[in-house]
Parts: sequence; structure tokens; C-alpha cells
Amino acid sequence: MTAAAIEAPQRVHERRFTAAAMIGPASVVVVIGLALPIVILFRYSLNQFTPIKGMIDAFTVANYVKFFTDPFYITVLLRTVRVAAMCTAICLLLGFPLAYCLARTRSRFKNLMLMAVILPLFVGNAVRAAGWMVMFGNRGFFNSIFLALGVVDKPLDIMYTEFAVVVGITAVNMPFVVLTLQAVIEGIDRAVEEAALSLGAGPIATFRRVVWPLAMPGILAGTILCFILAMNAYATPVLLGGPRFQMMGPTVYGQFAGVNNWPFGAALSFILMTATLTLTVVANLVVQRRYRR
Amino acid sequence: MATTAMPVASAVLGADRRWLFRAALYTAAGLGYAVIGAPILFVSWLSFFSNEIVSFPPQGYTLRWFPHILDQNNFVSGFATSFQVGVVAMLGGLLLGVPASLVLARRRFLGREALNTLLILPLVVPGVVAGTSIYVFQVEAELLTGLPLLGSVAGLVLAHVMITIPWTVRLVAASLAGFDRSIEEAALNLGATPLKTFLKVTLPVIRPGVVAAALFGFIVSFGNLEMTLFLVAPGVTTLPIAILQYLQWRIDPTIAAVSFLQILLIGAGMLLTDRYVKLTRVL
Repeated sequence: MTAAAIEAPQRVHERRFTAAAMIGPASVVVVIGLALPIVILFRYSLNQFTPIKGMIDAFTVANYVKFFTDPFYITVLLRTVRVAAMCTAICLLLGFPLAYCLARTRSRFKNLMLMAVILPLFVGNAVRAAGWMVMFGNRGFFNSIFLALGVVDKPLDIMYTEFAVVVGITAVNMPFVVLTLQAVIEGIDRAVEEAALSLGAGPIATFRRVVWPLAMPGILAGTILCFILAMNAYATPVLLGGPRFQMMGPTVYGQFAGVNNWPFGAALSFILMTATLTLTVVANLVVQRRYRR
Repeated sequence: MATTAMPVASAVLGADRRWLFRAALYTAAGLGYAVIGAPILFVSWLSFFSNEIVSFPPQGYTLRWFPHILDQNNFVSGFATSFQVGVVAMLGGLLLGVPASLVLARRRFLGREALNTLLILPLVVPGVVAGTSIYVFQVEAELLTGLPLLGSVAGLVLAHVMITIPWTVRLVAASLAGFDRSIEEAALNLGATPLKTFLKVTLPVIRPGVVAAALFGFIVSFGNLEMTLFLVAPGVTTLPIAILQYLQWRIDPTIAAVSFLQILLIGAGMLLTDRYVKLTRVL
């Protein structure tokens, strides 16, 4: 007893040391592996580039000026935002009902139904894009059906369109939205809904005034995640959009791998990250203001 | 009078509207499922087509595309690279992530929230941004140290270890929720060493979280495309990169067979993990 009391200050010290030793390595890896590189990336975006000499040390905002004065890049950014917004809206529109059904089902296959949502999440974006290529191609599933039914005379151009990209990214992001929402809806007591219904509220009123507001934290988390992922999509626009349908992700890669313009590539990367974060924060504030009570 | 008539009217009207509402709900949910599942089903279907060029309906079915994969060196070596990197990343992620999450979940200290955010960062920073950042970092580090870091296996593995950390932290922390620390203190008081206490008391409790973290770590590393694109040396390929490059050129039953095998592998891994820990509880 007394021994323990005497040891106490030393033990506290030891425990602090142990805690630091336990959490330190992981933190160092993330700081050196990601936080520091992002700072260096920002520094690179202020450098100059000439096709002959490559990158030159400088301190200029020329790369950012180039981006915002070139209609080509503005178009790419606006297209990326538009596609991301559409994908997010569709994900919420279809994902919410699906999440609601999954959260409220009493089926004994519930676990299997959830696995069917989780599995595609891990299968890889390129593989899922391949699935849409099978459906969307000139001799793909949809065109074969349309031609056989005589709906069209020649194959519709579905591949390499904005439609294909939106569908592809929506499919990639939907599981994230569904799982986030499902978890939140499961936390809403069934009795609250039943109370609203038994007090005379219709199903739509119950949904709009009870379920929706209570699920708002999940809706926010899910849509934000979906929007970020859609803004930064790479494989889907490359495969379903083709070389002429440029979005920000592939454009960044092109600057690094294609023309070796690191400073401009770094600036593009930074603009993409900033645009994503800004739009996310703005949306967050708008929604929170509307639903504050 | 109105008070008695109202509920009846709304009940009659309500039953009708409730039916409509149900129909709309199930239609939307079904569409959601279709959008999620269709690409997986169609690519799996294609892997059995006997005709090499995609057309519907298929002329017949065959299994010959599966042995054909082994002739494609890109897929074989890509799979080997992805598998090895995935295993190392998983182990590294557990080694770094489990102790960190133990501290984060149970200690209260200044800067805890900041550290928590830091460790989730690799999950939040988009792959393209992470890839470009790590690439320029490697350029600078190579200039500074003279070591051949750019495109090195070490650099690739470290980056992959990093992206598994957030999953380990989240999953292990979730499995610690509701854990009674007095059991550990009892073990320590009764003379068990801290290591023995961890192995005999703490580890059995967090095991589901650790198993899930191992699986997720492997899958996240195995499937990573965007970040990895910037970090592989010329000539080195991972499975997702090999698949992407092949698909940019053409789509045929061979690539579908590769995809189908990957789907099977990941599905099996998930079912196996589900026996230890309900995936739907930890996600």
C-alpha cells in the first residue's frame, strides 16, 4: 500500500511515456507521410515551369493565375463540380430509401443484404467501371436491347458521355451514403415514427418532419463524403468519360505523368482540394443554419 | 363533430397514401440496389462469354478465359505486387494503429482531438492529392539524401501502411467502446505484467476490431489506385493499375475474368471476417 503510494508519481510519468510511445509512431508516419508532403506540394505550386529547363525555384502565383484565366481549366473545374453535385443528389435520392429499408427490415437476410452493399465498395473502381462498359458500349446490353426492340436504328452513344460518368460515379459512391445513413436511421427509435403516424401525420409528413430532421447528421456526413469522392474521382471519368471528357482528377495526373509540369500539377491539385473543402464547408453551414432549432 | 369525423377520414385517406408511399420507397430502394449491384453482375457475366467481343446475347458460355489470365504477365505480376504490398501494409498498419487507438480510446489528454484528426487524415485526403503530395515529397527527399526514393518499393509500402492507419484506429476504437478498464487493473494488481495483461485481457476484447482492421487494411491497400498511380516506378504495376490500363485499351472476357476472380477473393475475405466480427457492426 505504502509502496504503491510512493511509486505513484513515477508510475504516472512512466504511463505518460508509454502512451507517447504507443501513439507516437503512427502520428509520425502520418505527419511525414502526408502532412509534410502536402506542405511541399503547396510550395511546388508556387514554382515556375519552362518546357526546356523543367521546374525552376520561384515564388509566384502564376500557376494559379494560369488556371483561373484559361477557359479550358475553368470548364474542367465547373464540369467536375457539376458532375459531383449530380452524383451526390442521385446518391441521396436513391440511397436514403435503400438505407431506410435496410435499417427497418426485420428480414433474417438483413446481414446478407448489407453485405451486398459493402462488397462493391471493396471491389475497385476500375472493375465497376468495366461493368458499366459492358452495359453502355455500342454493342453493349442496353444498345442490344434497344436495337432488338426497334427503339433506335443505330446504337446510342452512351459511353464517353456525361451521363455514363454520372452513373458510374453514383454507383461507386452509393454504398458509402447508404451505410452512413443506415447507421443513423437505425438509431432513430421506431416508436417516434409510430407516434407521428398514430397522431394523424401522413407518411410524407412523418418522413419530412420526423425522420429527415433526425437523420440530418447522417445525411450531412454521407453527402459530404460522396461529394468529396466524386470531385476527386479518377478511374471512372477516365474509363467511362474517355480522353475528351476531362475532370479534375485525370487532369492533375496528366500534368504530372504526361507533361511533367509539376508546379502546375501541384497548383491543380491544390485548387481541387480547396474547391472540395470550400464547397463542403459552405454546404455544411447552409444546411446547419436551416436545421438549427 | 369535426373531431370525430377527422381521424376516420384521415385513416381512410392515409391507408391509400401509405400504400403509394411504400411503393415509391421500395422502387427507389430497388433502383439503388440495381445501381450498386449491376456493374458487379455484368462484369461477372461477361467473364463466361464464349465470344471475345462484347455483344448480347452471348453466343455461348465457356471457362477458357480464366486459364488465359495466367498468360497475361501484367495481371500475374500486378497481383503479386498488390498482394505483397497489401500484406505488409496490413501488418504495418496494425503495428502502428492498434497501440495508437488504445491510447486514443482510453486516455484523456490535451491534443487528443488533434491527434485523432491527424490519424484519420489519410482517409479524408483524396487519393490524387495524396499521390501528388507524396510524389513531390519523394523528389525532395531524394534530392536531400541522395537515396533512390522515387518509385521505390519502400516508398510505396510506407504510403500504403499510412492509408490503413485510419481504418485500424476507427475499428479498434469501436471495439473498445464499453470496455471496463477495472478488469485490466485487476490483472495488474494480481501481479500480471503489462504485456501479459494486454495479451490475456485486452487483446481478446479487441480481437474482433483487430481482425476487421486487418481485413480492411489489406483490402484498402490492395484496391488503392489513385495514390499508387503516382508512386510506382515505370514497369512496376499493381493489379488495379493493370486493370485500369487494360480497360483503357479494350474490354473483353479476359479482363472480366480477372475482375470476377477479384470479386470472389474479396467476397470470400468478407465472409470469413464476418464469422469473427459482424462487419455491419463496425463499419
